[in-house]
Amino acid sequence: MSGRVPLARRNLLADRRRLGAGVVGVGLAVMLILLLDGMWAGLQGQATVYSQRSGADLYVLQPGVRDLTAGAGTLPPRTLDTVRSDPDVAWATPVRTAYVILQLHARKVAAYLVGSVPGERGGPWSMAAGRAPAADDEVTIDTVLGDRHGIGIGDRLEVMGRSLRVVGLSHSSGFMLSYAFVTHAALDQLTASPDKTSFVLVGTADPGAVAGRLSAQGLNVLGRDQVSANNLTFATGIFGSPLRLMVGIGLAAGTMIIALTAYTAIVERRREYGIVKAMGATRRRMVGLALAQTVTLAALGLVAGGVLFVAGRALINATRPQFAVVLTAGAAGRAVTAALVMALVAAVIPARRLAALEPAAAFRSAS
Amino acid sequence: MSRRVPLARRALFQDRRRAALAAGGVAAALLLVLMLQGIFDGAMGQVTAYLRSSPADVIVSQRDVRTMHMSVSALAPETVAGVQQVDGVAWAEGIRYTTTFLVAADGRQQLSYVIGYDPATGRGGPRRLSSGRVPGRGEIIVEEIAARRLGVRAGDSIGLLGGSYRISGLFRGGTTITNSVAFIGTEDFAARAGNSLAYVLVGAKSGVGSGELARRVADALPADTVQSKERFAAEEASLVKDMSADVMRIMSTIGLLIALAVIGLTLFSLTLAKLREHAVVKALGGRTRYLAAVVLAQAAWSVVLAVALAAVLAVAMAAAVGRVNPAIAVVITPASVLRTGVAALLIGAVGAVVPLRRVVAVDPASAFRRAS
Repeated sequence: MSGRVPLARRNLLADRRRLGAGVVGVGLAVMLILLLDGMWAGLQGQATVYSQRSGADLYVLQPGVRDLTAGAGTLPPRTLDTVRSDPDVAWATPVRTAYVILQLHARKVAAYLVGSVPGERGGPWSMAAGRAPAADDEVTIDTVLGDRHGIGIGDRLEVMGRSLRVVGLSHSSGFMLSYAFVTHAALDQLTASPDKTSFVLVGTADPGAVAGRLSAQGLNVLGRDQVSANNLTFATGIFGSPLRLMVGIGLAAGTMIIALTAYTAIVERRREYGIVKAMGATRRRMVGLALAQTVTLAALGLVAGGVLFVAGRALINATRPQFAVVLTAGAAGRAVTAALVMALVAAVIPARRLAALEPAAAFRSAS
Repeated sequence: MSRRVPLARRALFQDRRRAALAAGGVAAALLLVLMLQGIFDGAMGQVTAYLRSSPADVIVSQRDVRTMHMSVSALAPETVAGVQQVDGVAWAEGIRYTTTFLVAADGRQQLSYVIGYDPATGRGGPRRLSSGRVPGRGEIIVEEIAARRLGVRAGDSIGLLGGSYRISGLFRGGTTITNSVAFIGTEDFAARAGNSLAYVLVGAKSGVGSGELARRVADALPADTVQSKERFAAEEASLVKDMSADVMRIMSTIGLLIALAVIGLTLFSLTLAKLREHAVVKALGGRTRYLAAVVLAQAAWSVVLAVALAAVLAVAMAAAVGRVNPAIAVVITPASVLRTGVAALLIGAVGAVVPLRRVVAVDPASAFRRAS
């Protein structure tokens, strides 16, 4: 009999609307997990974008500092001279950074202000329009900030009491943070602390040898990949715990929905299941029926979740482009695992109900 | 009849397991909203902790700089003297401020706001030390959680701003998921990071309100930003709110949609299962309005139960998160529960639409047909 009558599937499909609501519910939970995973991947990409795109092979940082997140300028100017005096250094340039809060349309917008020397590296790496700042009253902002607040080339942006003219738009947004590029001298003036820089970018064909020699002179030198890895560790350290918490809650919600849908379907057909049991179906077969339903629901929910994710990601990209949502093979694998876990856990209650069903239920009138 | 037989409640709770799954499903979805809001509310409290404990009534900062969090402010050292001359000012004191890493001897790091203050007055420092004493030259006081993360204690040395400082004491409060706060003497700060001040804290004379004092200081310093402590704290809070608004909106929408799916699923299944009973009520003269009220009452019951469950779970999870990671403060406020509850009730009403249509269309004659 078990090979001929797809009881679990028929039971599930008996009421399409209920099945639809269940699948959409599970799909939303899967979408939530995929979106969180996608945001996580996007955040990781954004956390390393500057260190990977600045063009530097080495970074000279304040002693003890391992990434670019501090945002303060504490290196003395002589550091640059020391770096440039190395024979294998092709180029070296100072970069100054600071966090600022911009007030735009009655909203506070956090920005990472990057000050570089005009004509040298360290400024915007991918221009959408216009150019990098050349004068101390000029600024280049990222396209996300520009689009969101209707700021274009030629407009003015108030930064720490100074009015800067927007001369360019770049592709360079960060997670919950915008980039704004100014000249190094402009940032010196804004922070009222000249003769300092945050870090020095170094270009060289022989990073290992240069790093060794500069380190021997007491400088804190890190390779590009090391800085990126440290930036990543810092960013993921901040957002990791809340994100894991949200994924856990999403899993719990999905599990409950699968269990509710399967359980309701089973309770309403308990007479039919009673007949199956009266005809000699084993306890194992009954548990298998419950599991088949939860796995089917999870599989359908997974598909729905994928569709909802694609739609949700398109919506987020269109309306909130600062959140890069990236779908990776790992994320897809985790979503499948999550759906499987939800199906297995959700099967417990319906399976117990089926296993405990009296065959006599087949002969009672349905209530 | 309606006063005697609680039809909605009885039908909903007839099968306890189903009721528990339904409440659990909605509660999990609402928990998502509550916890996320709790994380941001907690961050808001942490970000404003230093200011709230400050004895200052008014705070002066660089023009257009209205916050400390993620901000840079630079004021000329003479600003303090300018403020002191304003009528109604009892005291004025500058603090220096930057964002940098505290580095332990073993290389462990902690991103930290470092504040340079005058330990003699203590006005710019922490209100209370949990151990040790205020910093002397070459010394620093560090927040307890940050000290644990760095694996350091009073007497140890840590590096910052290119120098080494001995920990003279510890205090509690100020370490968040992103950063901590540490204090050194203002002269040490100036020697390492420059002479300019970041903010000027201003105390009012007795009888002068903070708003009035802020106005007077602002008149005297038109090139700077002057705010009352309350205004400054509100600006800090709005920074967290504005930065988190988009994430909150996305997650709340998903959470409420999941809740809608569960409520719709529950009510629809329940209505279908009880169609015969509804037909009996109709055959006995019960009005459609009464049956509609039954469905809406079931929606309300589902939501109220789920909100209560989600609130209890959120409070328990907040306590657990605080124990596992003390830097994450999750604060579940009654206002947040109320807001989520109202949103869930609206969602419940939407979820009841399809079952309502089914109940309205029920044929009283079906009560006399044999159930299949």
